[in-house]
Amino acid sequence: MKADIRWLDDPEVFRVNQLPAHSDHSYYGETPLSQSLNGDWLFCYSVNAAGRPERFYEPDFDRSGFDTIGVPGHIELAGYDRLHYINTMYPWEGHVFRRPAHCADNHTDWEHSFSGADYNPVGSYVKIFDLDPGLRKKRVTVQFEGVEQAMYVWLNGAFIGYAEDSFTPSEFDLSQYIRDEGNVLAVEVHKRSTAAYLEDQDFFRFFGIFRDVTLFARPAVHVEDIAVQSDLQEDCLTGVFGLRMRLSAEGGKLPEGGAAEIVLKDAAGAVCLKRSLPLADVTELAPERLGAVRLWDNRDPYLYRLTVTLADAGGQVYETVPVSVGFRRIEIKETGGKKIMLLNGKRLILNGVNRHEWNAKTGRCIAREDMEYDMRILRENHINAVRPCHYPDRLLWYGLCDENGIYVMAETNLESHGSWQKLGGIDPSWNVPGSLPQWREAVVDRARTNYETFKNHPSILFWSLGNESYAGDNLAAMNAYFKEADNTRLVHYEGVVHNRAYEDRISDMESRMYARPKDIEAYLENDPKKPFILCEYMHDMGNSLGGLGSYMELLDRYEMYQGGFIWDFIDQAIEVMDEATGEPVLRYGGDFDDRPSDYEFSGNGVLFADRTEKPALQEVRYYYGRYE
Amino acid sequence: MDGTNNLNNIYNTDNMCHTPRENGGGKLRVVFGDVTLGLHGGGFSYIFSYMRAGLESLVRDGVEWLYRAPRPAFWRALTDNDRGNGFALRSGMWLAADQFIAGTGTQVWVDGKERPLLTGPANNRYSDREYADRVKIAFRYQTVTVPAAEVLVSYEVSADGAIAVDVHYFGKPKLPELPVFGMRFIMPTKAVSCRYEGLSGETYPDRMAGGVPGVYEVSGHVTPYLVPQDCGVHMQTKWFEVCRNTVLSNVTKGVSSAASAGRKGEALSAGDGGTAGTSRLRFEMTERPFAFSCLPHTPQELESATHQEELPLARRTVVSVFGAVRGVGGMDSWGADVEEPYRISGEKDIAYSFRIGGIL
Repeated sequence: MKADIRWLDDPEVFRVNQLPAHSDHSYYGETPLSQSLNGDWLFCYSVNAAGRPERFYEPDFDRSGFDTIGVPGHIELAGYDRLHYINTMYPWEGHVFRRPAHCADNHTDWEHSFSGADYNPVGSYVKIFDLDPGLRKKRVTVQFEGVEQAMYVWLNGAFIGYAEDSFTPSEFDLSQYIRDEGNVLAVEVHKRSTAAYLEDQDFFRFFGIFRDVTLFARPAVHVEDIAVQSDLQEDCLTGVFGLRMRLSAEGGKLPEGGAAEIVLKDAAGAVCLKRSLPLADVTELAPERLGAVRLWDNRDPYLYRLTVTLADAGGQVYETVPVSVGFRRIEIKETGGKKIMLLNGKRLILNGVNRHEWNAKTGRCIAREDMEYDMRILRENHINAVRPCHYPDRLLWYGLCDENGIYVMAETNLESHGSWQKLGGIDPSWNVPGSLPQWREAVVDRARTNYETFKNHPSILFWSLGNESYAGDNLAAMNAYFKEADNTRLVHYEGVVHNRAYEDRISDMESRMYARPKDIEAYLENDPKKPFILCEYMHDMGNSLGGLGSYMELLDRYEMYQGGFIWDFIDQAIEVMDEATGEPVLRYGGDFDDRPSDYEFSGNGVLFADRTEKPALQEVRYYYGRYE
Repeated sequence: MDGTNNLNNIYNTDNMCHTPRENGGGKLRVVFGDVTLGLHGGGFSYIFSYMRAGLESLVRDGVEWLYRAPRPAFWRALTDNDRGNGFALRSGMWLAADQFIAGTGTQVWVDGKERPLLTGPANNRYSDREYADRVKIAFRYQTVTVPAAEVLVSYEVSADGAIAVDVHYFGKPKLPELPVFGMRFIMPTKAVSCRYEGLSGETYPDRMAGGVPGVYEVSGHVTPYLVPQDCGVHMQTKWFEVCRNTVLSNVTKGVSSAASAGRKGEALSAGDGGTAGTSRLRFEMTERPFAFSCLPHTPQELESATHQEELPLARRTVVSVFGAVRGVGGMDSWGADVEEPYRISGEKDIAYSFRIGGIL
């Protein structure tokens, strides 16, 4: 297959040759089976596709004019292309007139909208590497944990694949083309594609390879995907455990006689369950009752340890897969005419915060230490829930949430705010994804990737369809997907409040943002259909967060009011050297000659951009502590 | 001597700080000047100016604590939420009121008895040996708002040097909501720290539930919000002490031991960066706790900057003692007003008091 630049313009092409999304489990064998490709890459910047070095992926291409760039990182922070912060407006507002493909009969010029744009920068990345010894002679894939916003991949001159959906892993099989030494991995990253319509989040608009790039080698037999079922029965005592795995084998055929040994232990190491299953393409352990289990929640995030060991008939181990397992039950139950969200049989109260991934020096490219610091801030301030806004976070974050008992609203990478809200008014005349059939698969695929990647995390109580994307058949299709894939969690979406025709098909809860207490009362006093949450509230811009008490007292008055997520966790501002003094200073939208901009509107955290605490945090700590 | 002479010309801090020149029985020595009213006692010297409509000089142990006469405060640098909900469009006239104000009258009471005519020639009847137990002086101000409002500020000085300050804002129909109301004291040099007894952290009327009562010390820095804005307010304060270790005075030699008492014999030095040991000025509640802020910048300076690095070099101390503080709000930043109980009506009176502590 050959790469086609027009995929940038076509909403129906968003993944080519990518491996199906799968659980984020780790695995190990006797030798290391992964190899980081982070570090310096060769790099060439072009302002548009026409000007890019089109054949740069050919192994003998003359790359003597290439620069080097650090991976992971944003291209803008490496000095190429302008930093730009803008909220709801699409980033090309005032520069280019664009309408999404298929949105209206009179706009048929979308076919070159991105591939033919005068301004749509391209980063051409090349990494030359030898395979580590432990990865040789095995099936090898490459995983890009995050690349904005569209990418083409080649290895040793052969086209490998194409991916969008910037914030979830994109993985490609390299086995056919990889060599032990002298591999040439080429990645062409485009700043914008049709994905730009779906990634209109309120943030700095970056592009580039901004999360880890890793090679993975697969043992002869490998767990491609594992779905753990760790339910709690209605009695909120009895655990039910099962699992379903998809296995792959070198050469395509599983060896005869091997087995998958499944051992579930409690945190102290006592075996709770031990089973052995024959290896099969789809290996399934039917759900079994475990008796009384220790529950997982914010106060006691108790995790069991599952180990799956794949071995051949002689007991020789292929690989071992460890998975953390938590037993908990999230449901909406009607009691006394009130529909209430219960966690483990008790009313759930969300003392939450929205969290962008951010570091003032490196943007949305954040380190483990940043995440561990953030987790400490959550715990110390009685914040029990997080909404990764508005995209999936780095893989590591979800495991930290499991371990620390943080309830996660797992948001799909979707926001199309500028397509339906203009100058504050509602105008969905060219809303995407809306109900346009050509945009449906792109967003359902984003939902699927979100679910498949993170499904084993007990911390996730809700799947969220995304943020501020209005409502139509395609959002309804995402909702239906989650419902079909996972009957153990709830589905969240706020945007349906702007199009109530879909409210019976979208979102298990009434979710609003920035509703005033009296509006919440009005909903809850008038035969409410769904439990109520605020997916965003208390806009902590600058010196703010006054009046939190008026929301907290609603928790006492209405059982169906179940809390919310403060906007937001950390100011998004960038540290640069002051051109006047040479001192480090924090800059925001408009400070890079970027226009139009929304200026300081990205500074709404309970932390400053340098992660120091804002004074308002003590108010959060007080109220959230009272309702812990 | 880079700008330090101005102040020195007005008042030579060190040479003028005396213990009473004769034993007045622990009373205030009153100087019925032609332009000012001077009140002197053990370790303190205060000069109230009729011309400048306020307390022009507050000297303790030889250290001047005022840069200019204190003024009523009507403005806070807009918060992001103020900007978002259009507060300035409704209440912007208070910015001008904060910057410009007219003194419209002065009254003086000595030991409870009003002295109607104070300046020349009526003051010719006084001598160099005038003493009193307490002297009260009140200044009346008129704002530049439309309609204009009046503020009455009175200072009652007792023989121990304590100053009881009473502040009264007379509300007027049709005046818009206020961002704050209080008294602002600008001190000549930057404070090194500020101790207070009150609530932890930066608090506002609608964001103080999490404040923990206690005694705290703050550096007096601006809270580094992305866009500089009002900050540093401490609600429910029982007292605070501003701590400085620099003065503007040029005097480095020949300082009397009285002037340097309590400063371990170190000479006060000029404004070229020398230290003067540590001096403290204490503000205390009278009937009710109050709110205050102690920052190196005025609201106007904060208002003008779009980034922290645009703020001028911090060189003074801006202390505001508030009778009313508007909440910060936060339900959203694009329209939601501060909740009703945390707004300040311009139509109603605001009266409060506090005390500048005496010599212990």
